[in-house]
Amino acid sequence: MIGVVGLGARAGSFMLRDITFTVPTGAWGVVLGPAGAGKTTLLETIAGIRRVVSGAVALRGVDVTRQPPEQRRLGMVYQHAYLFPHLSVDENIAYAARDHDAARETADRLGASALSNRPVASLSGGERQVVALARALSPRPDVLLLDEPFAALDPRRRTSIRAELRRMQREWGMTILHVTHDFIEAGTLGDLAIVLNDGAIEQVAPPDVLFRKPASVAVAGFLGFENVFSGQVVSSGEGVGERLITFTGNGIELVGVGDHPRGEGHAVIRAEDVMLAREAPGPSSARNVLRGPVVSVTGHGPLSHVTIEVGTTNLTAILTEGALREMGFAPGVPAVAIIKATAVHLC
Amino acid sequence: MMCAVAVCLAVLSLAACRDANVARRDTLVVFEAASLAGPMRPLLDTFARRTGALVLEEHGASLELARRITELHRVPDVIALADHEVFPELLMPGATSWYATFARNRMVVAYTDRSLHASEITPENWRNIILRPNVALGRTDPVLAPAGYRALLLYQLAESFYREPGLAARLAAKTPPGSIRANAADLAALLSAGELDYIVEYESLARAQHFRIIHLPPDIDLGDVNRADTYAKAAVSVTGARGTTTRRGAPILYGISVPLHAPHGDAGVRFLRFLLEPDGKAMLRAAQVDALDAPTFTGMAVPPALSAMRTR
Amino acid sequence: MSQRPADRALTGSLIGAAMILVALLVLPVGALLLRGGAAGVRQLLMDAELQQALLLTALAATTATAITILLGTPLAYLLARHRMPAQAVVGALIELPLLIPHPVAGIALLLAFGRASPAGAALAAAGLRIVGSPFGIGLAMLFVSAPLYVSAARESIARVDARYEAIARTLGDSEWTAVRRIALPLARRGLLAAAIVMWSRAVSEFGAIVILTYNPKVASVLSYDRFTAFGLDAALPVAAVLVLLAMIPLTLLRALRREESSA
Repeated sequence: MIGVVGLGARAGSFMLRDITFTVPTGAWGVVLGPAGAGKTTLLETIAGIRRVVSGAVALRGVDVTRQPPEQRRLGMVYQHAYLFPHLSVDENIAYAARDHDAARETADRLGASALSNRPVASLSGGERQVVALARALSPRPDVLLLDEPFAALDPRRRTSIRAELRRMQREWGMTILHVTHDFIEAGTLGDLAIVLNDGAIEQVAPPDVLFRKPASVAVAGFLGFENVFSGQVVSSGEGVGERLITFTGNGIELVGVGDHPRGEGHAVIRAEDVMLAREAPGPSSARNVLRGPVVSVTGHGPLSHVTIEVGTTNLTAILTEGALREMGFAPGVPAVAIIKATAVHLC
Repeated sequence: MMCAVAVCLAVLSLAACRDANVARRDTLVVFEAASLAGPMRPLLDTFARRTGALVLEEHGASLELARRITELHRVPDVIALADHEVFPELLMPGATSWYATFARNRMVVAYTDRSLHASEITPENWRNIILRPNVALGRTDPVLAPAGYRALLLYQLAESFYREPGLAARLAAKTPPGSIRANAADLAALLSAGELDYIVEYESLARAQHFRIIHLPPDIDLGDVNRADTYAKAAVSVTGARGTTTRRGAPILYGISVPLHAPHGDAGVRFLRFLLEPDGKAMLRAAQVDALDAPTFTGMAVPPALSAMRTR
Repeated sequence: MSQRPADRALTGSLIGAAMILVALLVLPVGALLLRGGAAGVRQLLMDAELQQALLLTALAATTATAITILLGTPLAYLLARHRMPAQAVVGALIELPLLIPHPVAGIALLLAFGRASPAGAALAAAGLRIVGSPFGIGLAMLFVSAPLYVSAARESIARVDARYEAIARTLGDSEWTAVRRIALPLARRGLLAAAIVMWSRAVSEFGAIVILTYNPKVASVLSYDRFTAFGLDAALPVAAVLVLLAMIPLTLLRALRREESSA
């Protein structure tokens, strides 16, 4: 278990403020956030490398805030491997291993054994990462902190290392906190996603919830939601929990599903959830139908982004190459956008 | 960066130019024994004021100053040494053809208020006090500094004067090699810092450094020109890396000269004239230097402006 | 590889500029060795005082350097890695000896460690005499040259990325174990260079030593001594042989560093 409560830390002029979350034992937490959000600082503070300014860190249910790093029994892998250059590959892997066999087994499972005779300086970036992972895993830690450890790996090796690490985690009951920029990686590996922005938590949620329901405009923007509108929630139904909500802003009205109260809010819609047509359809289940001329068409290989003007703002949809050709969308051509209420997330 | 270097070089050149200009004007470069630095200051200041000359002083041990001329070929306009014997030994005839003796000096025991038994020592009991256990006694290296071998000569003279056989050896042994220094300035620093209790040095140095002084009987202090015969009975062998030389007791006289190739020899002669005249003598005496009534000149080709003074 | 004419001209003038400095540094040493080298080597075989002085010089400089490595490396580490309240002050203070003229440094040491000072009295009570003993030589060498070691060592430790030690600590090393296993080995070449600079400076020290300990004589004091007593021709061989002998360990250490960097 990795838990932090009200955690504050400092890195130069940068401050980490009031961070609270818990990754349960045996779970895989992913940390997302733009560059400079404080992701590495967070890992270093949990590892004890960086001093805690406020709050507490707990590992395995025990407060370790005052413990030095060497007593926290965790493994840490930086984005750049930081292999000890004065030691051989084997010496690096065995640096903290309980015994020779543990080191060799870890190296074998990660495919690092083949590198053992090579000088550290001659390893590629990906090979260094593999050795760094083996070094961190040799002492069989039950808490593992990873800072973009797969970034330097080629795609094939990335897949196999991820899978092996997943197996090790299950076998040993490791709790992992993993900083990544890769949303697919976060979605496939993560049990829990923590979004940091500018030193503070934006959202803590399982990845599938996160990618459907960003908690804020900042998260939506960071996760790549193409359509973000700000305005007012004018009616918010009755009762608690999910309900139908009406939103107006930027000269458009949208119906969505959620639990947002009345007042200021944002509507976010993924471009792939927007359907485009040349003319308004007949009666349909979709609650939102918006009209406007095409403003731009930008090609992205088999997929194109088509942006239309609605109200005083723009709405972007993703179309396949074939659909674009059939519809004949080009700047100036009138279009109709159709969006289901469940695709409109309010935050 | 280049600009900064250029600016620095330019400023340095200006400083050099100023020095060069000064050198073209009336300048007096004086090498003087460290023990003369204090007493000579008012004379040099007055000379500078009266003549408008710029005076540049370099201080050091007498032998070292002589070596600057003979070995490093840096020639001053005036060289004044605490020991006239350095002239015939090192400087004549290559660097100068003559020298004048102009003041007496003598050996004393110097100490400070903090020295062990400072309240008890007198001109009568000095040897007993400095031979007491725990007293630290210092002197200069006899190979390098005339004051060093003169301390040893003084010990011999004291042994016969007080009729205490073995006294000279006991006094000499009282200073371990670690308490010997190369020159008077370093030795004085040790006394000032309290590392030593007593040193055997020139009176001029002790006065310049404001040490307390024990005056010794004239029969042993090497300060009386009329007791040359008595002093000559003492002799010590000094062994350096180049063999052994014998030093014989003689009255201590300050010597002064204008080197052969002095860049401003005229100014040098003018200064010597000032020094040897009544005004100069009075200033030296005011600074506790025992100036001779009339100088004695040794050697050849003494500048006529000076040799005339002999007759006064 | 062909160069454009402008580049060639630039390269040429850079080499020319570099040569000026090399000449400024090498010519005086060359002149010294030319004038005194042969006589120095001859004397080295016969002159017992010279042999003793050289031995004493090497011994004192090596001791001073060893003590500084022992005490100065932790200090350099603290200055490089830790944010202490007084860090800037401490860092500046320990470089002050570099600013003090060397004879004055000798007098300062005399005041601090002479028998009239509390420290000197305590040492004397313990039977350790600083002034006039080889300890004084070592102390003077340490005082004037240790700042060079500490500041160079601090730089070389600061150049090692602190994350190497962070990794080692997550792998179970205590702070000092991580320093010993990681930071110091990684900074080793810089530390070696720092020690070489310090040793060279210590061997050549004169001003502070001659105040503190004139006898027994180190090579620099002997050289001054011979100059005063016997003139230049007696002094130069001593200085030349000091330079020649000091070059042996320095060259060996440099070769060691080169070998290591190519490995």
